[in-house]
This record gives sequence, structure tokens and C-alpha cells, in this order.
Amino acid sequence: MNATHSLVARTGTFFHRYANPGRFLRLGARLQPWLTWPAVALSVTGIVWGLFFSPADWQQGDSVRIMYVHVPAAWLASSGYAGLAVCSLLSLVWRHPLADLAAVEIGPVGAAITAVCLATGSLWGKPMWGTWWVWDARLTSVLVLFFLYLGHIALIRAFDEPQRGYRAAAILGLAGAVDLPIIKFSVQWWNTLHQPDSITLTGAPTMSTAMLWPLLVCTLGFTLGFAAIVVARLRAAVMESRIRAALSARRGRGHAATGGAQDSDVRGGAVA
Amino acid sequence: MTRKSRRLWLACACLLGLGSATALTLNAFSSNIVFFMAPSQIHAKPPAPDRTVRLGGMVVAGSVRRQTVGETPVALFDVTDGQAAVTVRYEGILPDLFREGQSVVAIGTASPDGTFRASEVLAKHDETYMPKEVAEALRRSGKWDPRYGKAPDAASWDTMTVRDARKDAAGPQQQHGS
Amino acid sequence: MTHLPYIATAYGMTIGLAVLLGTTAALRLRRARARLAAIDRPARAGRREDQ
Repeated sequence: MNATHSLVARTGTFFHRYANPGRFLRLGARLQPWLTWPAVALSVTGIVWGLFFSPADWQQGDSVRIMYVHVPAAWLASSGYAGLAVCSLLSLVWRHPLADLAAVEIGPVGAAITAVCLATGSLWGKPMWGTWWVWDARLTSVLVLFFLYLGHIALIRAFDEPQRGYRAAAILGLAGAVDLPIIKFSVQWWNTLHQPDSITLTGAPTMSTAMLWPLLVCTLGFTLGFAAIVVARLRAAVMESRIRAALSARRGRGHAATGGAQDSDVRGGAVA
Repeated sequence: MTRKSRRLWLACACLLGLGSATALTLNAFSSNIVFFMAPSQIHAKPPAPDRTVRLGGMVVAGSVRRQTVGETPVALFDVTDGQAAVTVRYEGILPDLFREGQSVVAIGTASPDGTFRASEVLAKHDETYMPKEVAEALRRSGKWDPRYGKAPDAASWDTMTVRDARKDAAGPQQQHGS
Repeated sequence: MTHLPYIATAYGMTIGLAVLLGTTAALRLRRARARLAAIDRPARAGRREDQ
């Protein structure tokens, strides 16, 4: 028990070092260019490679090129939700304030990438399978993931008092993590129209390296892009909360000093 | 700190409980979650003739017969899972990916005479992604006939490039090292 | 049958969404930074005058 206590404490201390918003802003500002520019370069390279320089598939022809956007989007939809679940855990157990802000910002980006995954999958399914949509286990579990994202987005903004929204959304975020293994293993546990994974941790990929490389470049590019967008939004959110704190503090001081109404305008010289 | 670890244990316990509840539910409904039935399952337990079922399996090589009745094309083909085969009759245009050896899912009813009357046929492509030229080279060298099943072990072809395959096509006498 | 429209739509949708998310994030960050700077500057200047 003692060991777990100290582990919990140490984990808490580790994360709380980065809970300091000032520290995060400095770290984020340093990190941002290293995320943004590689993301743009790799995504453009991967997309051009996939669209124009990778070979056509033996059974799918050129339609296989949809894979280079669909598969990274699908991976990111799941890993983005895993990130959300970690933020939820940090919020519930350690009351980490930055984790709450991160959960607010990851939600919409994750929902958008899940929508891309579903839409590109549909656009791939129509010419290949002969249908836009089927209710097989893989497609349905990803749709559930999309609704989990939407529920999280709505719940975290649903309360007047933000703390209550953070708490409720964190419970949903953590509980929804149950869907992740279902998505991953759906194609193995049940027979589905969706094909099994080509790339697994255990076996050789059943994919030509001429197609694997552009896929990996796209995946890396999209992942960095996801991180870059989340970090930028999170920095903006931290700054916005500072602005709100400064304004309310000034309003308080304004009330104390003049005892009268104080405009909330930024440039309205409150200290004058 | 005890409060924090208590909250951590509580979160873990809740997640574990929820996870096992979900696992049990999915396990109980797993026959409803499967997207299609295999021909051997249809043989073992024929569904009622008015019930729409999905039949999935591989199109048997050499079994496809195409006819035209009036204006509509009619296709007859056998679908197998390796243990049993069911003859499928489908009126309409088959999807682009349809070929012998391809996995398909046919939606329709099992008629009493044993044939399966499909109202829709979906092609199921497998997880093998291979350049056209490489597939052609494998087929020509006799290592793989797509009509009779899955591609050979990925390690034997996944580094073969389009250029290798073309070179192979230029000189058919030269055999691959491995 | 050509599948080009499907491929083009899939790529267009992905690129469009990435550009949309990227620009909104960048604009939001720029606005927040400008507002924060505008608040901080008079506040600091005011404090100095106070002393």
C-alpha cells in the first residue's frame, strides 16, 4: 500500500509540474514550431506520395489511395480518445487543472478527425464494397466513438459552473475508453465486412512497402498536426483564462476603488 | 495523498466493472453482432425462408455462371467457407471487386431448393495491399493464384517493387531467387 | 468505372478540415495573445506609476 501511495504521489507531483499554466505556456511556445512545421511538411509529402507516386492496388486499383487519409484518421480518432481518457483520469484523480482545459480542447479536434474517418471510409466503401454504410462491428463501434466525442463536447460545456462540467465529462471520457479495445479487436472477434488490420504489432504487415511508407509518413504528419492544433488551442485557452482572471480581478479592484460600474473593455484604463 | 489514491482505485474499479459488464454483454450478443453467416452455418441450421440473412464466404473458382434474363443480368455462383458451399443467385450488376476467389457478403433469403436468392451482393476485400504489377508477377511465377485463396506470406513479396515486377515481366525466363 | 470522384472528395474533405482546424486555432491563439498583451501592458505601466 505504501508503495502505491508514494507512486500515486510521485505521479501527481510529476504532472503538477506541468500543471503550472505559466510553465505550460513557455513549454508550448517552445514546442509549437517543432510540431507545426514537421506536421505540414510530412502531411504534404505523404499526401502527394500517396496520390501520385504510390502504386495502384491489385484488387482495388486507384481507390486504395483513400487509405492514406482514412487509416491515419482512424488511428488518430482512437489515440485522440485515449488522450482524452488520460486527461479524464488526471482530472478525476489528481484534479489537474490543465487536464480539464486539455479535455475541452481535444474533444472538438478528435470529433472532427473521427468524422473524417467515417466520411472517407464511406467514400471508400461505396466503390469497393458496393455500399456507403453497413452496421458491422467495426463501423458501428467507430460511430459510437464519434457519439462519445460529441457527448463529451456537449457535457463539458453544459454547466454554468465549469468545474461540474469538467467532472461529469471526465467520467464520460473515462467510461468511453471501453470502446477503444472494442474498435481495435472488432475485426478479430466478429466477422465483419471491414477487413482485418493489415498492420499489427505482432506480425509482418500484409502490405507492400511501396504503400506502407506513404502511409507511415501520412500517419506521422497527421499525428503531429493533431498535436500542434491541440497545443495551439490549449495555449489559447490558458491565455483566455488568464484574460478572464485579469479582467475579473480588475473589475473587483475597480469596484473597490470607485465603488461604481467598471467597463470590461480591455483598453478601458481600469487602473488609471 | 490517501484521498488521491482512493480516487485512483475507485476509478480503476469502476473502469474494471464497466469493462467486464461490456465484455459479458458483447459475449452474450455475439451471435447478433456477427455481420454474416458462413455457408456451413446455413447448412447446419437453415434459416426460415422468409428471413433475410447475410451469407459470407469466398466465391468458388470456376463456379460463376452469368446469364441474361430479358434485360437484367443474372449471376449464379457458389460461396464457400472451406467446409460447405451454397449456390447464390443474384439479379443485377455485381460490384467491381467481384471475382472468383473474392470474399463476398450476399444479403437475401435461403430458398427451400437450397439456392440462396440474394437481393444485394457486397464485395469484401481482404487486408492484402499489393501493387498490381507485383500481383501479376506472383501469378505468372505460379506462386499465387488469386482465384484459389489468400496471398502467400507477406514477407515473400512485400519488398518487391513495381520495378522488380516489371523486370520480371520483361524476362520471364529469369526466376526469382526466393 | 472511375473512382476518381470518391478519391478527390476524400482528400478534399481531409485537407479542407485540416486547414479549417489549423487556421481557427492559429487565429484564436493570435487573438488571445494580443488581448493578453493589451491587458498586461497597461497593468504593468499602472503598477509602475503607483510605486
